[in-house]
Parts: sequence; C-alpha cells; structure tokens
Amino acid sequence: MSTISTQLRNFKEPTKEQQTQLFFALPPDMPRGEKDVELERMECQASLVLSGEEVFAGKLHLLPPYLAFCSLDRKSARFSIPLSTIRRVERLNARAGVYALSLSLYHGMKFVIHITSLRPTADLFCSLLRDALKVELQRGRMKTVKTFVKTCYSEVLVASAENEEKEAEAAKTDDNSSSSESAYLGGLGLKFKFPGDPKKLREASKTKLWTTYLKSHGRNLTLFRYAQCTRLVQVGLPNRLRGEMWETLSGSLYLRYENPDYFENILKENEGRINTATEEIEKDLHRSLPEYSAYQSEEGIASLRKVLQAYSFRNPETGYCQAMNILAAAILIYMSEEQAFWLLEVICDRLLPGYYSPSMHGTLLDQRVFEALVHRCLPILYDHFQQVDVQLSVASLPWFLSLFINSMPMVFAFRIIDCFFCMGPKVLFQVGLAILKINGEDLLQIQDDGGFIQLMREYFSKLGESAHPESSDPRARAITRFQELLLVSFREFAVITDDTIINERRRYRSEIVNSIESFSKRSAVRNLKTLGRFTKEQAGLIYDALFKAICVVPPPATVFPTPALLTTKDGSEERPETRIGLKTFKIFLSEICTWARDERVVTNGVSSRVERNIADHELIDRLFFFWDTSFRGALSFQDLLNGLDGVMFNDLMENIEWFFNLHDKNKDGYLTKDEVLTLSESLLFIFRFEVGDAYLGAVSRFMSNAFEYGDALLPRSDAAEPNDDSPQPQIESNQPYMNLATFRMVVLADEILETFFETDFNSTFKLEPVPLDMPSSNPSVLGSLWSNIASDDNRKFFNIVTDQIGRTIGKHQVYHRPAIGKITSLEEPKARESLLTPTMRHSTSSTSLNTGASDSSTNLATPSVSTSPSLLTVDTPTPKSKISPAEYSPMPTMLQAAANAAAYMERTPFAIDDAKDDEEDTDDESAAEDDGVMDEVDAFLEEHDTGLTDADRELAKDLINAEPV
Amino acid sequence: MADGASGSAERSVQVKLVLLGEAAVGKSSVVLRFVSNEFQANKEPTIGAAFLTQKCRLEDRVLRYEIWDTAGQERFHSLAPMYYRNAQAAVVVYDVTKASSLEKAKTWVKELQRQANPNIVIALAGNKVDLVQSSTAPAAAATSESEDEADDATATPGEAPASGESDSLRQVPREEAEAYAQEAGLLFFETSAKTGEGIVELFTEIAKKIPIDQILASSRGGAGRPGAAGARAGAQEGVNLEENAAKSKDSCNC
Ligand SMILES: Nc1nc2c(ncn2[C@@H]2O[C@H](COP(=O)(O)OP(=O)(O)O)[C@@H](O)[C@H]2O)c(=O)[nH]1
Ligand SMILES: [Mg+2]
Repeated sequence: MSTISTQLRNFKEPTKEQQTQLFFALPPDMPRGEKDVELERMECQASLVLSGEEVFAGKLHLLPPYLAFCSLDRKSARFSIPLSTIRRVERLNARAGVYALSLSLYHGMKFVIHITSLRPTADLFCSLLRDALKVELQRGRMKTVKTFVKTCYSEVLVASAENEEKEAEAAKTDDNSSSSESAYLGGLGLKFKFPGDPKKLREASKTKLWTTYLKSHGRNLTLFRYAQCTRLVQVGLPNRLRGEMWETLSGSLYLRYENPDYFENILKENEGRINTATEEIEKDLHRSLPEYSAYQSEEGIASLRKVLQAYSFRNPETGYCQAMNILAAAILIYMSEEQAFWLLEVICDRLLPGYYSPSMHGTLLDQRVFEALVHRCLPILYDHFQQVDVQLSVASLPWFLSLFINSMPMVFAFRIIDCFFCMGPKVLFQVGLAILKINGEDLLQIQDDGGFIQLMREYFSKLGESAHPESSDPRARAITRFQELLLVSFREFAVITDDTIINERRRYRSEIVNSIESFSKRSAVRNLKTLGRFTKEQAGLIYDALFKAICVVPPPATVFPTPALLTTKDGSEERPETRIGLKTFKIFLSEICTWARDERVVTNGVSSRVERNIADHELIDRLFFFWDTSFRGALSFQDLLNGLDGVMFNDLMENIEWFFNLHDKNKDGYLTKDEVLTLSESLLFIFRFEVGDAYLGAVSRFMSNAFEYGDALLPRSDAAEPNDDSPQPQIESNQPYMNLATFRMVVLADEILETFFETDFNSTFKLEPVPLDMPSSNPSVLGSLWSNIASDDNRKFFNIVTDQIGRTIGKHQVYHRPAIGKITSLEEPKARESLLTPTMRHSTSSTSLNTGASDSSTNLATPSVSTSPSLLTVDTPTPKSKISPAEYSPMPTMLQAAANAAAYMERTPFAIDDAKDDEEDTDDESAAEDDGVMDEVDAFLEEHDTGLTDADRELAKDLINAEPV
Repeated sequence: MADGASGSAERSVQVKLVLLGEAAVGKSSVVLRFVSNEFQANKEPTIGAAFLTQKCRLEDRVLRYEIWDTAGQERFHSLAPMYYRNAQAAVVVYDVTKASSLEKAKTWVKELQRQANPNIVIALAGNKVDLVQSSTAPAAAATSESEDEADDATATPGEAPASGESDSLRQVPREEAEAYAQEAGLLFFETSAKTGEGIVELFTEIAKKIPIDQILASSRGGAGRPGAAGARAGAQEGVNLEENAAKSKDSCNC
C-alpha cells in the first residue's frame, strides 16, 4: 500500500562546480566510463573583446569539453561552446602586458579574449586548454560538428542570408522554397501549422532580426549571448527557429550533441515494455493539447508517446507525471522527437527539479516559495487571501507545473516559455507575481478559491486585448494585456533574481520535506489493513523506526518486474509497496527492541553517553522470517506491525508459546533437539549483557531440565526392550522431540525464566525511541559543553577527546547496557534450586546430549564467564567507535560489569522502570499529532511571517499601488 | 455590493464539492455530464484540479455547485487536501469494471473521514455501468445525445453478443459496493457518464443531504454574493434541477 521514500532526506545542495555547470546550461558529469582522463577544470579572469572596441570583463571557464565565459554582471555577455567547435587558438603578440588569445570557430567566426589573471595563471589556463583541445581532437569530435549543425535551422537561415547577399537578385519571398532545408529538424508545426497567425506574430520581421543576430554572433552550439539576444527572445521567437533556440538556451542542445542515437536506442532497447508509467502515458495521450490538430492524428500521438516513454525509460524514478504530457505536446510542435526528449529532460531534471517526482516535492517547494514572494511583494493582497482563506496554489500550481500552457492561450504561453528557457525558472515567479499585481484590485474583491480561479480564467482569456482600450494615445491602445504582463514581470519584478529563488528554496526546503514525510506517514498508517492492538500513535512510532532504518539502509530499488509479469491489466495504480530486507530489518528492530542492539555506556568522567550498534544474531534472522508470513523475503510496514502485535501484548503463556513457535521451524508442534539448543542460544543472546550469572544459570538449568523432561516424555519405541540398558531411546537431533506442553513445564520450573516470560520479555520492546544522550549527573565545565555541540561530527570529536581525558584521569569506563537490566547486583537470588540437584542436572544433560551439543552443555553446567562468549560469537558488534580493543571486551567480566552497572544505576533510570511514563508520553504525542492533522499537508500554504522590515513593506505597498505601465 | 446583485429573493447556496478517485475512472466525464450534459473523449487535461460550476434548483432553493475535479494520478495525492479542505461534499468515484479502483476509493473515503470537514457529505459512485449492462438496457437509460465521440478507446464493448456476456466485465458487484457504502455511511450510486444514468440523481441526493441552512447561517457574509459569473459551466441547459441560466450571466462580478 505505502511507498516509503527517504529520497528527500538525501538531498544535497549542488556544489559550486555543479552550480557553474548549471549556470552555463552544460550537461552534468556523466559517469566517466569511456572518458579515461579526467581533464582539469579551471577558471580565470578575462575580458571578451568585440571588434567594435566593446569589452566585457568577466570570467573564463575551462570545463572540458566546453569553454564558457560570462561577464561580471551575468547578463551582458556569455557563451558556452564545445571545444570541438574551436579550430584555432592564437596567442596575439599585442601590447606588452596584455595576454590575448584569438580563437576561431569552425564557421570562421573569430573572437578575442584577454586573460587578465596573473601571468602564471594565464599560462596554466592556456596549457590546460591546449590539452583539452587535443583530447577532443583525438576523440574525433571535431569532425562531428559539421554533421550535427546540419540539423539546426539556424544554419539554413544564415546560409540563405549569405546566398542572398551573393545573388542580390534572388527574390525569395518565404523560407520554405529551398531544397537544402530538408536536413534540419523541426516539429509538428511544420506539417500541422504553428499556433497563431504568422502575420500577427510578425514572423517575417522576427526571422530577419534573428538572422542578422545569428550571422554575426554565432548560433546553436556557438551562440554568443548578449543583452540583445535576451531582448529578442522577449519579443518572441519565430516559429521555425523556436525549437532550436529553446534547445540552445536551455542547453539541451549539448545533451543531444553529446549523445547521438541515444534517443533511438533507448526506445529500441525498451520496445514493447509495459509498466505503470507506460500505462499512465497511454491514458493521457489523447488529452494532451487535444485541440491542436496534430494530436488528433496518429502521427502526433505517436510522437508524443515516443518522447514520454523514452523519458520514463531513462528516468524510471520519475517515470511519468501528469503535466509532462502537456509539456511534451507543446514542445513537439516546435521540435523533433529527439530534441523534445532532451529538452524534456532538462526541464524536468534541471530547470524544475523535483516538480514531477513521485513526491512532487519541487512543485510543493516552489509553491511555498511563490507564496513567500507574494507575501513580500504584494502584502495587501496576501493579507486579503489570508483573510478570506484563499489558497494561491489552486490557481498558481498549474502555472508552474505546465508552464502556463494550460492556463493561457498557447501563443502567449509560448512567449513566456521563450523567456523561461532564456532567463531561467525565476521567470515563472516574475510572471506569476505580475499576474497577481495587474489584477490586484479585482483580486481584493474575491471571497474564495472558486472566485479566484474564475477571475484568473477571465483575465487569461483577454490577454490579447488592449491593456488601455480607453486611452487616447493610439500607441498606448496598441499595447496588449500580454505585453503589459511581460513589462510588469520583467521591470517591476526584476528584483526577483536567480539567487532569490535559490535562497528561498533553501529556506523552505526542510519545511516541505517535513510536511511531505508526515503526510506519507499518516497515509501509511491510515492505509494499514489492520492496526492490531496498537493505537494509531503507536503505529506511527513503528513507522518512525521503519523510516529511520530505511534512511540507513534503503530497501532495494523497486526494480521493474519483467514485462511478462506486468501485462496483467489490473496492476494497481500505486507504486509498489516498500518492503525491507534483513539488513534494514536489523536496524529497525534495534530501534525498538533492547536486545537487538548493543549499547555500550561510556563514562569518561566528563560525560556519559550510550553508543549503539546493531546486534547480529540468528534470533533476529529467525524473527525476520517468522514475520515474513507471505514468504517474500522482505517485510512491509504491515508485516512489521503484525509481527510486533504478535509479541508485544502477550501474557506469560502466550509468550512461552510465541517463543516456542518462533523456534519450531517446520511448525509441526515439536522442537527438535537442535531447536532446543538454538532456543537456549536465543535466550543467552537476549541475556548477554545481564549482570550476574543468574540468567546464565537459568538457561543452563533450562537446558538440563529440557533434556531430562524431554527424554522422560519420549514415547518409548515398541522395539525397545523394557529392561534395556540404555534408559532412553536414542533420537536424532533433527527429529521431533519436545512439544509445547513440555516446554512450558520446563520454563515454569524456573523462577527467572518465568518472570522473563511474564513481564521482562515484553518490556524489551519499546516503541518510544530511547535517546542516546545521558544527562550527566555532575555537570562539569566540559560536560555542560556537550549540550552546545550540534553536529554529529563534532560530537564524535568531542567524545574522542573526552574519552582521552577520562582515560588519563582514570575515569574512563565502558560497559554494556543490558537488555533487561533488572538484576543489578551480584546478590540476586539464585532461582529455584529445588527441582533438580546439580548432580542430576549434570548427569542428565551429559547423557541426553549427543556429541555435537555436548560441548556447550558441559560449559553451561558450570556457567562461567569465559565460556559464554563461545555461544555468543555470532554477536559481533561492529566497533564503530575509535576505542581500542583493549578497553573493549565483548563481554565484560561479571564483576566489572556489576560495578559499572551500579555506577550506571545512579545516573539514569532503567528502561524497564518507566513503562508507565511511556504510556503518558504516547498520549502526549497523539494529542499533538491530531492537532497537526490538517495542517501538515497545507503547511506550504500556511501563513508564515517572513519577517519583513517596514521598509520592505512600504516598498511592496508602493509596488501594488503603482499604476501598471 | 455583495448582496442583492442578482436581485432575486432566492439566495443561491454555494456548495463546494470535490471529486476524487483513481485515474481514468471517469471523474471528469461525470462532471462534464453533470455540467453540460455531454460525453466526449477528454477535452481538457486535469493538472492539479479542474474547476467548474453548476447551478441547480432543489425545491425552492438554488444550489451553486463549485466542483473541483482532481487529477487522479497517485503522485497528485498529496495535493488533494488543498482541494477537499472546506468541501461540503465529495464524490468518490470508482470504475465498476476495475476492482482495484474500489480499493483506492476506500482509501479516499478513509482519508476524507479523517481529514476533511467533519460534516462532509460523501457519495460513492460506481461509474461506467454502461459497460456492464446488457445490450437491451441502454435504450431506457439513453437520454443522452447521439455523439460520435461516445465510442472512445476505453469503451470497448464493441462485440454485440447477448446480454449475459457484457456482465462479465463487471469486477465490482453492486451489492458489495453498496454494503460497503452503507457501512461507511456514504451515499451510493452506480453511474454512467456515457449514458447519463445516475448522474443527476447523484448530485440531487447530495444536495438533499447537505445541511443548507447551516451553510447559510455560517457564511452569511459570503454565500449570497454574486457567484462570479459562470464560465462555460453555468451557461448550459440540461440539468433538470437547474435554474435559469440567464440569471448567472447578469450577476457578473463587479
Ligand atoms: N463506457 C464508459 N466510459 C467512460 C465513462 N466515464 C468515463 N469513461 C471513459 O473513461 C476514460 C477516463 O475518463 P476521465 O473522465 O478522463 O477519467 P478521470 O481520469 O477520472 O477524470 C475516458 O476515456 C472516458 O471516455 C462511462 O460512464 N462509460
Ligand atoms: Mg480527470
């Protein structure tokens, strides 16, 4: 039912290097399989010098296989070009003191760069550049450029412009006549027409402007972006060039360039494959821009299917998310399938990260960020929305999720998308804010979500109309509402920068992650088939332990089952249920069960702490398989809950029976002799850190009693002579030997075991997490420092240091925290000695045991500290801590342990003592949880005081009150 | 300006209704049938939720349904609270030809009962009954128009064999779902967005069960205000409960 994902926890902020790559829209590092050499990266101060004496100071980056430059203001000039497009690099022997390079590109364009860093830096940069170029040459990349650029429409434009210059008389009216055009890639629009009226869109003049720009400033792989480029994009891209410019501006072009044939291959490799994603895709194919004629034909549908499927094969984690169909359908109008595939990847993974993931955390996060920005920039409106309880997201969610395509007439949405690819995700926020601002007056009248949506709908339907229909100035009248929207977006909300978005995302990230995680927790609990005897809150605690375990050892990735398994139509919509393996189970159990962990209490005179390791014993493996009732080799949340339910509420008799069943592997109602031994080892494992030898004695008595009673109660075989010498018939160690009744009798014969099964065993299970820090009883200077140490790393370091201090002053002590911890001194009563005399025990055990087991039985008969480890060898706590083995004995001598335990008792309450308090704690928890029930999902919409300064508020007020341009 | 803009003695009561259910069970189609009495292969994709309105008359009252038709894909689940909060009614839809969709419906019901407005009226709708009815039956139910698009991809009972056959498509017996609905305290209907069967009844019964006076009392300020004029929604004829469409037009916002 429930899928538990810890992916959000593992989020890492991009490194500086990754940020640079992102900024230059370069492909992220691929796993360097074929690339044998890792080429060095470098950056240096440099200026780009244009022929017209224009100079842009900035930074030059060598990011093999790319060379990238950006001016200091980040917008006047920038480029990211593949090294393979460079044909020549010359050092100019210009004026002294100037380190100038002249670079020429494959199409003849030249540019000059002055490296302004110090001389040695410049030299190093040049030599690295030379190496990187050499590698590209060896890889044969230089040759691929020319074929690749043939797929680009810009080349056609430039070529035809050059032709025109040559043959001035050639009167080509439109661009669809030349035959050489056929090589370039294009979208469905070429055949099914582009949306909008080409005249109205002023296609011809836009194309002309772009042709001029591309001719002088490079194109596709080698586009240099100056301020004019951005301005041209804001006016709207011409239809035929649009797809390629999207590729170039977003950087998906580089992915396509670096991965020829990838798209075709991934489709081929996965041909015929059916999975949840492909099924969901099928459902949506016919509802993706159905009004566009291409999607009323099989051709358009087939393209859409290919692109969406290919993406889902490449990114199985994301697979397919509704809204991606809209994006894909939209971009396919302007670009080929392969181009659309790479662009979709850049949108989903880079520009809108996490938007379409299974948790949609990116979407939720950006909605939260948008809300915060509205609060900051449009506080009056924000307050009104709060007052009438209107949620921004009901309208703004689809804006972001489908880039306005779904919200406004397509021609306008595409204009916004042009800007989005050119200027980045901040555009969505700017436009969103501008929409609200322009409609501010009317929005202050709305009373509920529905009114909000309708108002927005009306506004979007009139985007093509004049913004100032009443104006006497014809030029003002000519300004459409859409133009007004862009103006407000990019003028008034220019304050919203890339950094704003990055910072705001960082600020709200953990809030969103928490609300998503608590939402999944609540639905996981709600979706349990049964709670057993647990309360919802207890189930929540079990979930927490499970979640914690999954964070440490994630369950195996849900692999796609083979197609054959999936062709059954009724595979449920849900993602497969999360199931954990044995390794994760051990961590889970150690969270809940005292004997499933090894806890060493370390006292060094400065502080006390508990170091926890995961225990490892056959008993735990056994429990895992015992709870795996559907034999899948993995446990679900429900399995774990059922399992715990089966053990935590037991009384004495039920516990005995449970323990018996746990060890009765073939479930025939009998334990074999081997199983009796295993059971004893299980007990010893549970008792391994108990103080004193009372428990060891109990187990040894248990064994001797078990074999005595067991033998006594064996049905005598007919063949056996009544007066036979051997008193007992021999029985194989793997034959049925002891039934539940006998087992019960043996257990009840011993006081310690009886109490163990009556109360102590239950209390080894505790759902409430037990904190690892122990309050120091005598807070010293150093000890009080402890509370100020926040990070785990620092704590580790602190522990090491204080341990050393403790060792020096002779106060360093390490001992194990027992699982039960009831007996705390050596004077504990020895159990009922009455039933059997020691000699009887001795003789019976030695006779009844066969050779294989005799070893341990004799040892047990004379319980001693030195022998017990042999039974416990499976228990090998991983010594994570840096304490040398000398101080750390797996089984401290009883005396020492007792002394330690006595000291320990003075400091902290024992786990077993406060069962009642736990109950109360649980109640507290539940009350708090219930309060938060509604809030958590809506957390991102919740009122949040961002701590505006008064000045900010004033400014924002001015913003909302100002007349639209 | 809030009150009296419509100039009518009647106050229209606004009812927020949310549709939930697995993807492709027919939520959007049910709404479309209710709002504009048509059935077509999907026109509009649902991102987050689609918003539609429909007025209908119940006895002497006018109800204005504000319908939120949510996206059905599992990953949109966490967005659903945004749409069902403050809802007075919910229609949880499943597909009678798909057993798993009832399971999903049950989890929605659980969630609503635990997290939504405590007085929410929940209806369970088993949609696509047309697919499991014998070929003679539709004649009675077919009050619908004769649209060509009606034969869409998923509606595949093209083979015309006798009555017994088509019933094999059914995966959720009526009795089973009905019993569950009863136990959970839900209204229950089997519906077909394609033929129109059960749709009007569904929304009528919900309307009857809604504590209208309570809503009026609790939202005196807001409820009577002019419903922001019907987008394409309110303007259709068709639902027999519906009041004169013209009224919603002139009650335009400000
Ligand atoms: N035969 C039949 N098909 C239906 C019915 N309702 C919806 N469908 C079809 O089921 C598919 C999914 O419908 P849609 O309304 O988009 O489902 P949603 O995802 O729940 O909104 C579409 O192909 C509809 O044409 C119905 O009552 N009968
Ligand atoms: Mg829908």
